[in-house]
Amino acid sequence: MYRMRLPPWLVLLMPAFVILLAVIAIPLVLSLYSSFTAFQLTRPETISKWIGTFNYEKAMGDANFWAAFGRTVLLLTVALNLEMLLGLGLALMVAKVTRGQRLLRTMMMFPMMFSPILVGFQFKFIFNDNVGLLNNALQSLGLSDVAIPWLVDGNLAFIAIVTAEVWTSTSVFAILILAGLFAIPQDPVEAARVDGCTPWQTFRYVTLPFLMPFIYIAMAIRSLDVARAYDIVQVMTAGGPARRTELLWTLIGRTGYVDARMGYANAMGYIAILLSILFTVYFFRKLTTARTSLGMGG
Amino acid sequence: MKTFAASSTLALLAGLGLASVALAEGEFAGITIDAKLIGGQQYEALYARIPEWEAKTGAKVNIVSQKNHFELDKEFKADIAAGSITWCVGSNHSSFAPQYPALYTDLTPLVPAETVAGFVGANIAAATLDGKLVMLPRAQFDVSALYYQKSLYADPARAEAFKAEYGYDLAVPETWDQFRDQAMFFADPPNFYGTQYAGKEEGIAGRFYELVVANGGKLFNDDFSPAFNSPEGKMALQWFVDLYKAGAVPPGTTNYLWDDLGNGFASGTIALNLDWPGWSGFFNDPSASKVAGNVGVAPAPKGAAGVRTGWSGFHGFSVTEACANKEAAASLVDFLTNEDSQKLESAAGPLPTRTAVWDHVIAQAASDPYKAEVLAAFQETAKTAFPVPKTPYWIEASNLIYPELQAAILGDKTVDEALQTASDAVDGLMRENGVY
Repeated sequence: MYRMRLPPWLVLLMPAFVILLAVIAIPLVLSLYSSFTAFQLTRPETISKWIGTFNYEKAMGDANFWAAFGRTVLLLTVALNLEMLLGLGLALMVAKVTRGQRLLRTMMMFPMMFSPILVGFQFKFIFNDNVGLLNNALQSLGLSDVAIPWLVDGNLAFIAIVTAEVWTSTSVFAILILAGLFAIPQDPVEAARVDGCTPWQTFRYVTLPFLMPFIYIAMAIRSLDVARAYDIVQVMTAGGPARRTELLWTLIGRTGYVDARMGYANAMGYIAILLSILFTVYFFRKLTTARTSLGMGG
Repeated sequence: MKTFAASSTLALLAGLGLASVALAEGEFAGITIDAKLIGGQQYEALYARIPEWEAKTGAKVNIVSQKNHFELDKEFKADIAAGSITWCVGSNHSSFAPQYPALYTDLTPLVPAETVAGFVGANIAAATLDGKLVMLPRAQFDVSALYYQKSLYADPARAEAFKAEYGYDLAVPETWDQFRDQAMFFADPPNFYGTQYAGKEEGIAGRFYELVVANGGKLFNDDFSPAFNSPEGKMALQWFVDLYKAGAVPPGTTNYLWDDLGNGFASGTIALNLDWPGWSGFFNDPSASKVAGNVGVAPAPKGAAGVRTGWSGFHGFSVTEACANKEAAASLVDFLTNEDSQKLESAAGPLPTRTAVWDHVIAQAASDPYKAEVLAAFQETAKTAFPVPKTPYWIEASNLIYPELQAAILGDKTVDEALQTASDAVDGLMRENGVY
């Protein structure tokens, strides 16, 4: 009797293939398929109701979807740049510390240890217009005599959300940049000093180019994080009021799980994934360029 | 004599409210009922009775999930989508129930008619969808009445100033127009506000709905096409807009939900507050509320049509269509909503849904003036209460309506524009789903 013998490498890789197939490939294909159907969670039979590109056309023509898309890009741009600048500053300062640096590094990571849901509740309370810490502090200090609607005004709510995002994730940049600072060879830095470079020139033309690959890696990781921002925003404003803080995933989450329109939500999700892909490709290209300029290869 | 004794026993049982189901000893021995129930401290006392039912029937109850209704709702939808309805009894709510037309079975053949007759008729009507009795209501009936700070009406100088400005005597408002006048009059932002309202999701959609009805309008036509873009609807939305523009409500009110409102009134910074019965004890508890001892409760005011607002809802228990032991499950549901269960739950404050238990709690409250005032106000409001529209698309429609209401309140759109947009969106939703 003939027994098919698979090559050992394939047998060894099989568990990984099966797991990847079960948790990534099948759900991905199923969700892609369902985005072409009228699938509603409460009516399972609708998964077989093929409606072609209707969901995609609907999303493309929906002003609310594109407003959420634009707002997500804006949040991504502002939050990432702020986190990068603050993280760079933090890392440079911590790198200078000679005593207690380990303790500082640990403390710097505290915000990352909080669940985003809790961070959302914490900042929702801080920015509450009536009983919030911020308004009460401003009023007690005589800096304001009105209840500033932090989570109602579109611009202020955006600032509040960015603050929460920056508070919780700046340390991602700080830690990665700090790792970069430790990895920098000291010869070029010392050579720059011997050649009479000012501290700024040393930083700008020697240190920073060495750090750029680390910064782009942090950017790529955080861009994926922010592009799928949901929990903090959902807790703080739930995308409101009047859709003023609606992001892609608050809209998609509500459409899929509250309205039960999973087919349409999946279609919006696939368009949203394009955003993540674009940012990832962009940052990886920048990373390759930065590494090439350092002679580290592509 | 034997007949007399039997009928006397029956009469006695009926008098004690035990006529619902006579539990036969061990009749469901060996059966396990899986249940998904609403979780939370306030609901636990009832669940503590479950071992009593288990001991009588021989069955076991296995609680497989305990979450709030919003989370349960998502779980139910996921179960339906996955085709994994492996449980028998679920907590239900009149606002969520229309979304699951095929999930729950009709309890009519499973529960004695006299049991059903013991509930308040309006509650049973709201629990009946497409002719199916999909749940038995528990003692968690909700309708909103008016809480107010009594001291505001006891100051002659304030009363005089009000009359000079508005031309009528300052008294607890009986209409929503009076409510608006008084909220504006009492407001002194940022330290004190005339009122507040739930400003998002089903909270504001529900408040808008009841105000439209109180003004004589309808949210939907009989075919479920939107009917709120009407003079009554515009009047209702204008009420919210006026209060916000006048600074009579906290500026963050469009982000508020029930906890924010309850804590806001208890903080003493709100004059008038339309709220649920569950807050009555909290508001008058000196350890939790700054307005304790100063709380008045009145029936919900009336709209332009002379109708009270009365958006109501209630919790209940349902049996799934897929349940293999429907009789046992229905027996559990019956037990959890019988008179003893309702007396137990309503002793802590929630309103009952059984006529006899209403009488019982009112008699119990006779020696407590505050509780008597609370019950009288809510009973009066409950007389004309109405549930959410019976369409599976209520939640989805409310998600389309509320951002537009917010847009008008915050001044991003006019009332006309907001209602037109909301009406078009709901119309699209209904057409897309083949409702008409």
